[in-house]
Amino acid sequence: MFEKILIANRGEIALRVIRAAREMGIQTVAVHSTADSDAMHVRMADESVCIGPPSGTDSYLSIPAIIAACEVTGAQAIHPGYGFLSENANFVQIVEDHDLAFIGPTAEHIRIMGDKITAKDTMRNLGVPCVPGSDGGVPTLSEAKKLGEEMGYPVIIKATAGGGGRGMKVAQNADEMEHAFMTARSEGKAAFGNDEVYIEKYLTTPRHIEIQVFGDGKGKAVHLGERDCSLQRRHQKVFEEAPGPSITPEERDRIGKVCADAVARIDYAGAGTIEFLYENGEFYFIEMNTRLQVEHPVTEVIFGVDLVREQIRVAEGLPMSFTQDDLVINGHAIEVRINAEKLPEFSPRPGTITQFHAPGGLGVRMDSALYDGYKIPPYYDSLIAKLIVHGRDRASALARLNRALSELIVDGVDTTVPLFHALLQEPDILSGEYNIHWLEHWLETNLQD
Amino acid sequence: MPKNPHDSDVIFIKALAELLNENDLTELQVKRDYGENDSLNVRVSRKQEVAAHIAMPAAAMPAPAAAAPVAEEATGPADDPANNPGAVTSPMVGTVYMQAEPGSPSFVNVGDQVSEGDTLLIVEAMKTMNHIPAPRAGTVKRILVEDGAAVEYGSPLMIIE
Repeated sequence: MFEKILIANRGEIALRVIRAAREMGIQTVAVHSTADSDAMHVRMADESVCIGPPSGTDSYLSIPAIIAACEVTGAQAIHPGYGFLSENANFVQIVEDHDLAFIGPTAEHIRIMGDKITAKDTMRNLGVPCVPGSDGGVPTLSEAKKLGEEMGYPVIIKATAGGGGRGMKVAQNADEMEHAFMTARSEGKAAFGNDEVYIEKYLTTPRHIEIQVFGDGKGKAVHLGERDCSLQRRHQKVFEEAPGPSITPEERDRIGKVCADAVARIDYAGAGTIEFLYENGEFYFIEMNTRLQVEHPVTEVIFGVDLVREQIRVAEGLPMSFTQDDLVINGHAIEVRINAEKLPEFSPRPGTITQFHAPGGLGVRMDSALYDGYKIPPYYDSLIAKLIVHGRDRASALARLNRALSELIVDGVDTTVPLFHALLQEPDILSGEYNIHWLEHWLETNLQD
Repeated sequence: MPKNPHDSDVIFIKALAELLNENDLTELQVKRDYGENDSLNVRVSRKQEVAAHIAMPAAAMPAPAAAAPVAEEATGPADDPANNPGAVTSPMVGTVYMQAEPGSPSFVNVGDQVSEGDTLLIVEAMKTMNHIPAPRAGTVKRILVEDGAAVEYGSPLMIIE
């Protein structure tokens, strides 16, 4: 059993880990840069170590500093949070070589999932559905048309050597195939000196659906349903919910079992997320995140579990505290990410918080490292709070989100809170009918002044 | 967009550098996805001088966290050795050794004259012995750490005047 763990992170996720550890009776060590000496995670931990100057590269990403901080404090394990070193296989290897425990998967699993091609091959072999495509180059038009019929239009033809949007053409139907195929080939030839092309199914309006999995590292694994994270701006999620409004219980059971079985077969340890594009009832694997996700609380709330506690248990070699049959969905949860950013351009706004009041009441959870007088430093990301609401159903969760947002006070800096007030007026948000392009389109038409 | 991807990358990086300066940022990291398996990672940063007035926890670790900010204030910046202009601070987290090996004489003692570059002590991190050199010539006025003590980044080690 661990007596003391070190948290190699900052902000709300460092608090999240400290809270779980404290409930388990485990001592905590916070690490921090000189810019974070007064940060909440430093105040809340049992001990703290200054590991470097403000730049993340020289502090929260400095492997020698973090290992040395474990050595001088006697911490036995490291929780990496998300971001920073959480998916750095080299770091995990060094942690293990120093006889410390890493609260997360093995270096090998992180390495496999960190490489796009290896990850896709591995997942396909484990039975996880991937975007259908040609195995390598497609030399002739007749072969291209045959593939188009097989996987169903639209398809995208990509130059093997391509990049930057060149040598990529979409064919909406068989009639467009000839033109698209020839154009992709000639663009590939002109731009990269190589006319080889490959073909993939093209998804027009997919949703981003991700499956939370959890393994004990010894061949047992469960899934905790899906999160719909389709509302994104520049590939950054801003609003997440669970269960996904478009997913049926049958679909959840089917894809969930596929994912749980896949990670069980590789003896995966701890929390992981398998991300999919979802369109017309089909799931297409994008990538696997081998860590706790920012949006993990929506899953915790509907299943009534503490994922960080489970991570720590599994790292200690204990079994998971639940089985698949124990995991039953209760109600609906929504998370919004509140950033210190000025709309409409979403430019970061570091500064001093003159007044902070967190919303409360039934079904409201606020994960934040803010406090009155806190100075948001300019060196790190702009996420300052996650507001998570839980209701008996989607409609009551939306009403609760509206109510909680109206209670929240963050004065002194600009935040993205007005975005959520505006989104809650949108019929598509209220009905749950959105896809990965919805928010970008909405921002273009609604936030241009 | 210029035809040559290399040129456009250079222009992009220059624009990032301007952004860094205009907004007084320390670091900027951007990933551009050009397509599958084709991306550009750029990190532009500038070194910031660590100002000597940044408050360091005065006491050696472990400091009681809940009380930490209060404790720092109570110590007061005036007599905080980190604020002394002659202070030599630790460049890393680790364990201090005052001599090359157990039983050897200390590298320096109070009152010694040192030249720039002379080893003052060792900070061990990850089994690596890091010799901490004197940043300038002078006299060792105070030694603020004991053999075997844990130090963090920025902890004052000695005062050399």
